[in-house]
Amino acid sequence: MVEEKRWLAPADFAEVVALCQFLPGPNIGNASVVLGRRWFGLPGAVAAFLGLMALPFVWVLGLAYLYADYSSIPAVKSVVTGVGVAGAGLFVGTAFKLGKPLAKKPAGLAIVAGCFLAAALARVSLLYVLPVAVAVAWLAARRKIV
Amino acid sequence: MLLDIVLWFALLSMLSVGGISAIMPEFQRLVVETNHWVTPAEFTQLFAVSQAAPGPNVLISSLIGWKVAGIPGALAALGAFALPASVLAWYVSGVWERFKDAPWRATIQRALLPVTVGLVLSGGFVLGTPHGLDWKSALVMGASAATLYATRLNPLLLLAGGGVFGYLLF
Repeated sequence: MVEEKRWLAPADFAEVVALCQFLPGPNIGNASVVLGRRWFGLPGAVAAFLGLMALPFVWVLGLAYLYADYSSIPAVKSVVTGVGVAGAGLFVGTAFKLGKPLAKKPAGLAIVAGCFLAAALARVSLLYVLPVAVAVAWLAARRKIV
Repeated sequence: MLLDIVLWFALLSMLSVGGISAIMPEFQRLVVETNHWVTPAEFTQLFAVSQAAPGPNVLISSLIGWKVAGIPGALAALGAFALPASVLAWYVSGVWERFKDAPWRATIQRALLPVTVGLVLSGGFVLGTPHGLDWKSALVMGASAATLYATRLNPLLLLAGGGVFGYLLF
């Protein structure tokens, strides 16, 4: 959108992405709504969202049907589990990348550790983890320690 | 069943500050532990399918819906997951632009970073240990995380590598 069509300046694009990471919901879905709205109002937002989702939706379901047909074969199951675990590793790697600016901020690292303990190890619902974590992080951010 | 999916996913959608990655621990808990729609291993496999297909991460929600209630389930799940958040995005984007230079905006962004990092890390851990934490899953997960962190290799190659490891190990 920035390089080929020149619909947006690079700084604008970064701005929209930052907003959509902060909003709940699928980042990319939100971005499509925000940008679609900016150019064409409601029809633009709806069109952008459907355009983004329709084809991948068909793809992923097709793949799921294919997998369902072959999932009784143990080797297929092993391969797909391996892909899933590697995909989980991508999340872990992403977390480390995102967290780089926190490396020298003990308060930030403590919040990361607290979230991990509660959500991953103790399996506490995010309904509880999220409000507490956001409140603590907000206080820390106001005192400029994260 | 269909109504259950819609209500639960709409709730999740509003919680997913930081995107689908941050909601993953809760998503897995809800689908596997609370509702027993799929087993932990099936959840990780469906996640693999959604990662291997092109398109946004959020499509994992449609796969869960599909597993529970077929094509109508897939559509309902995706809609329930994406729509409430989209409506919010619609309204907030106006406000957000107006307060471009407000100091609280920077505070919010700084505050959300450690929370997002902690939750994305949790999501990875939960997805990567479908049979509990053992050396095999730790190895594959660690190798993929380290390669993503340290190199610019295409993530699809890492997924393919995970498939090879999976064939040998799981």
